[in-house]
Amino acid sequence: MGNFPILTAVTFLPLAGAVLIMVVRAMTGSQESDVASGNKALVAGLIFSVATFLASLVMLASFNVGEPGYQLVEETSWFANVHYKLGIDGMSLLLILLTTLLTPLSLVASYGSVKERLTEYTIAFLVLETFMIGVFCALDLVLFYVFFEAGLIPMFIIIGVWGGADRIYASFKFFLYTLLGSLFMLAAVVFMYLQAGTSDIAELETFAFAPEVQTWLWLAFFASFAVKLPMWPVHTWLPDAHVQAPTAGSVILAGILLKMGGYGFLRFSLPMFPDASQMFQPMMFALSVIAIVYASLVAFRQTDMKKLIAYSSVAHMGFVTLGIFSFTEVGVQGAIFQMISHGLISGALFLIVGVVYDRMHTREIAAYGGLVHKMPVYATIFMLFSMANVGLPGTSGFVGEILTMTGGFQASTWAAAGAALGVIFSAVYMLTLYRRTVFGQITNPALESIKDVNIKELITLVPLIIGTILLGIAPNLIFNVTRESSLRALQMITGG
Amino acid sequence: MLPDYALLFIVLAPGLAALIAGLFQKQITDRGAMVLTTGTVGLAGILSIIQLFAFAFGGHGGETHGEHGEAASHGLHHVITLLQWIDVGQFQADWAIRVDALSIVMMAVITGVSGLVHLYSWGYMDEDPHKARFFSYLSLFTFMMLMLVTADNFIQLFFGWEGVGLASYLLIGFWYHNKAPNDAAIKAFVTNRVGDFGLALGIMAVFVVFGSVEFEPVMTALKENATVTPLALAEAAPVRELVLPFLAWNIPALELIGVLLFIGAMGKSAQFFLHVWLPDAMEGPTPVSALIHAATMVTAGVYLVCLLSPLYEYAPWAAGMVTVIGAVTALYAATVGMAQNDIKRVIAYSTCSQLGYMFFAAGVGAYEAAMFHLFTHAFFKALLFLGAGSVIHGMHHEQDMRNMGGVARFMPFTYAAMMIGTIAIIGLGIPHTSIGFAGFFSKDAIIESAYSAGLLGVSFAQMAFWFGIIAALLTSFYSWRLIYMTFHGPRAEGHHHEDPADSHADDHLDPAHGHDHTPHESPVVMLIPLGLLSLGAIFAGLLFYGPMFHHGAAFWGDAIYRAADNDVIHNVEVLKEADPNPHWWVFWAPLAVTLTGFLIATFTYLFNRGFGRKIAESGGPLHSLFANKWYFDEIYNATFVRGTSWLGGFFWKTGDKKIIDGLGPDGITSLVRWGSRRLSAMHTGYLYHYAFVIIGAALLFGAVIFWRVGGAG
Repeated sequence: MGNFPILTAVTFLPLAGAVLIMVVRAMTGSQESDVASGNKALVAGLIFSVATFLASLVMLASFNVGEPGYQLVEETSWFANVHYKLGIDGMSLLLILLTTLLTPLSLVASYGSVKERLTEYTIAFLVLETFMIGVFCALDLVLFYVFFEAGLIPMFIIIGVWGGADRIYASFKFFLYTLLGSLFMLAAVVFMYLQAGTSDIAELETFAFAPEVQTWLWLAFFASFAVKLPMWPVHTWLPDAHVQAPTAGSVILAGILLKMGGYGFLRFSLPMFPDASQMFQPMMFALSVIAIVYASLVAFRQTDMKKLIAYSSVAHMGFVTLGIFSFTEVGVQGAIFQMISHGLISGALFLIVGVVYDRMHTREIAAYGGLVHKMPVYATIFMLFSMANVGLPGTSGFVGEILTMTGGFQASTWAAAGAALGVIFSAVYMLTLYRRTVFGQITNPALESIKDVNIKELITLVPLIIGTILLGIAPNLIFNVTRESSLRALQMITGG
Repeated sequence: MLPDYALLFIVLAPGLAALIAGLFQKQITDRGAMVLTTGTVGLAGILSIIQLFAFAFGGHGGETHGEHGEAASHGLHHVITLLQWIDVGQFQADWAIRVDALSIVMMAVITGVSGLVHLYSWGYMDEDPHKARFFSYLSLFTFMMLMLVTADNFIQLFFGWEGVGLASYLLIGFWYHNKAPNDAAIKAFVTNRVGDFGLALGIMAVFVVFGSVEFEPVMTALKENATVTPLALAEAAPVRELVLPFLAWNIPALELIGVLLFIGAMGKSAQFFLHVWLPDAMEGPTPVSALIHAATMVTAGVYLVCLLSPLYEYAPWAAGMVTVIGAVTALYAATVGMAQNDIKRVIAYSTCSQLGYMFFAAGVGAYEAAMFHLFTHAFFKALLFLGAGSVIHGMHHEQDMRNMGGVARFMPFTYAAMMIGTIAIIGLGIPHTSIGFAGFFSKDAIIESAYSAGLLGVSFAQMAFWFGIIAALLTSFYSWRLIYMTFHGPRAEGHHHEDPADSHADDHLDPAHGHDHTPHESPVVMLIPLGLLSLGAIFAGLLFYGPMFHHGAAFWGDAIYRAADNDVIHNVEVLKEADPNPHWWVFWAPLAVTLTGFLIATFTYLFNRGFGRKIAESGGPLHSLFANKWYFDEIYNATFVRGTSWLGGFFWKTGDKKIIDGLGPDGITSLVRWGSRRLSAMHTGYLYHYAFVIIGAALLFGAVIFWRVGGAG
């Protein structure tokens, strides 16, 4: 590949698409009807996001799996001692691939589903994609922070403009929580730069912050990552945000944005503040297990399909923090795997809710029932992802859960036992949801004429089906890639 | 042993058939799906049975043994590795097919019964509009069960374990438009998940202790008492002496693992406390009950305990728990079985009870007896279920025995099959001879083993023996009660569809579907399986008593391990041949109680027909207790189900809404609003307010850091 800046290309290709759409729109003005030009913009956006996906495959091909450390590094001076530095390891590689996969699927899902201001909608998604990819490949703390924060804005807009009835409340709640976390992190970033004299992530990893400093910095980063993930008790923005967000927004939110929290813990908290991480292990375990049990129980009582799945997300992200803070190879590998797996499964579940929402315009569980009689293909796909969500072996959901719990067991049997309780409850809420919506008799007459999944919906779901099963049967596809990053993070915490 | 490609076919082909039948049912039609799945599983069944016979009676089988089975055992242990599954540090698990004595027996049982059940379903499900789906699920189940028993590591075992749970869930809820099957399906899945809670923690404990989840290194370490270095929690020690801290306790590692894994077994095998799902599972089509909830899936727990004999041999408390739970279940389920009126529920409780026998056999150290009974039980219990299915089919989906009676003359073949099944389950046979039905050999082996173990001082073995004897009495009683209520006496008339609660099972039929209500004999595709299973119910005990029990050491080889001081089975022979024999009554006791049970049932249900109903209507406390299954469902509903639901609501409405949101974003909002009203000059741009508060907080935080670190730097 020579010196072609592939990471820059992957990162900014979506933004270039967004700019192009804006320019074309400015030039053509309002000569065409809003719907027609919106559809054109969506297709253009789709082309760019697919191109980004292809570019990310080139990135994958250029990546050397067995090699430790950061690869494909690009670096130029930005300002002061801050650099524009990009680079990836196995973990970021996979999260970028997840991003470039889910974004085009989200755009496809939006076709015909979103009708207003489609041009702006497409632009928002493309801008968001750039920021998300940037988060995962930034190797400079300041650059990371910029991407991390900037990503907030398009998502805020997506919920606030294209959301449901209570979208204003939801988007401000979302904004408030995430901004709160972010500002603590900003203070920490500035402080780290001043003390270490660099904002280079690789250098910061080797910089030894004094233990008491670590505690404060760790807490500042924690504030941000805990909100993003989200961890109990700063999780209440998520159900509201999901319920109000359009389907594609939920897919990206659950699929990618939540993963930034887990990514942050592994990229920053563990390597840079190892002593503090050790110190806070009991707290992290407690919060993880509370998240798993509490959110699963709350999910059981939900009457809104999306809210139920949102709470289920909170529970599943609890496994991620459990695994990370077990400081074992099994736990950390399991946590990264769980992030990828949850990206596929929760993305699919939100798409599945979107399918019936587009037809019925309600997410109330009680409005459904007996869908299997009219939508057999839908019922099958829903069953598959329900089972994946409860962690049935053979799907990717199982591998992440069993490994993170096993890692947790080594550090605290209490944590493992608590998390295993959550595995029981997940079956309760998921099977109940499925039974109430899909099984039984049709009682709502409006369902009599409901149509099974169409081609567009299959295009969005089939890649996720393949991914979920493939990773369930051959999870080593992931583990081989993430092994070096996991071992490196562990080395820094146990060896340094 | 079969060549590798045949083994691959046996295990994988049913899965492939399920996939094709499920996904391409439109293309291949119902008939295509039925031919494909039945043909595949049938062929796998024939191969597996050939393999079992070759193994038992062929060259290296059980003939070349010494008097007490001390001949060199053939350590058949063959593993075909298909694909590396999970490779994370020491956590290594492959997709593999493990062939040893245990898996050979299980393969024969699974594919044999499954093949017959597939065939039977051609008749039973004839009127169902979703045949392809049904057969696809049946084959999926078969595949998952085979994966379970051929696993060479705990993780693939767990895959099969949960996979059969999925298939069971799908098949119990097969008639998904009705409430009862849906409820039952969820109940089954969730109860099993409670068991899996233990199983999963047990597997984690195995990994921590042994640094591996593969059977080979774990079993070797157990057998050799190797010094293991746990990955965490404890220092290196010989494995039998290792103590592990678990929650608030310090527990010997093997006891901990033994108990946790057994909790999993209790769920899957419907043992006391976790048995509540099995009777409800009868909402599924009857062929499913025969295959999954009688012959195969529910025996997975017994299989697990026997597989882990090297562990339970050195975990006396865990083994004691297995014995107690098994014995209590054997007795408990038999008491409930006496007072049920749904023909399938009687047999379901009977299954529960028989599984209890298997568990206490394994618990006292007679693993061979447990596996032998598992093997024979598969034949006669599948036979009883399919026979009951034939009655239900012939009676147009009537399941209440009170509405039956006098069916024998309409369904002579079914009657004969049910008689054979009944004689087999009550274990009729003449002690000290080889004359008897299948259950005679295996159940007496268990009862005698428990007695022998009791003499040797094994904990709870004496209790198990007496519970087993009493349960045998009850078994005989409820089995004959079933026969008399169903097949004998006058035809009950006019009971159809009176009670909606009793007739839900036939809701899946088109209500307009016209039948006269005269019972009719079932078609030949349903009678062939009954005939073949009858052969098994008669001869399986006689044929395999030698290999599987009497000379079990040679047959099971390395697959079942007994500690050097475990003399339970050998002692049975010693007791039997003693002269003069103070223990003679032990060998006659099962026959005596069986005949007693038969006489009581004959007196109350054949000669004095209506006597049983009188007891039921008089409503004595004991009858109420039995008829209401000791009120387990009511107690669980009042505690676990409602408690969980209440807690969920509390966390949601009070935790999230009132406390977290109230103090968090909503609280800040109202605080800012309140503050801004006070300052009044402010505009009401929310974001501005939030940002104001947040930035202020961040500045404060920054100041704190600088202040703190100013000292350090």
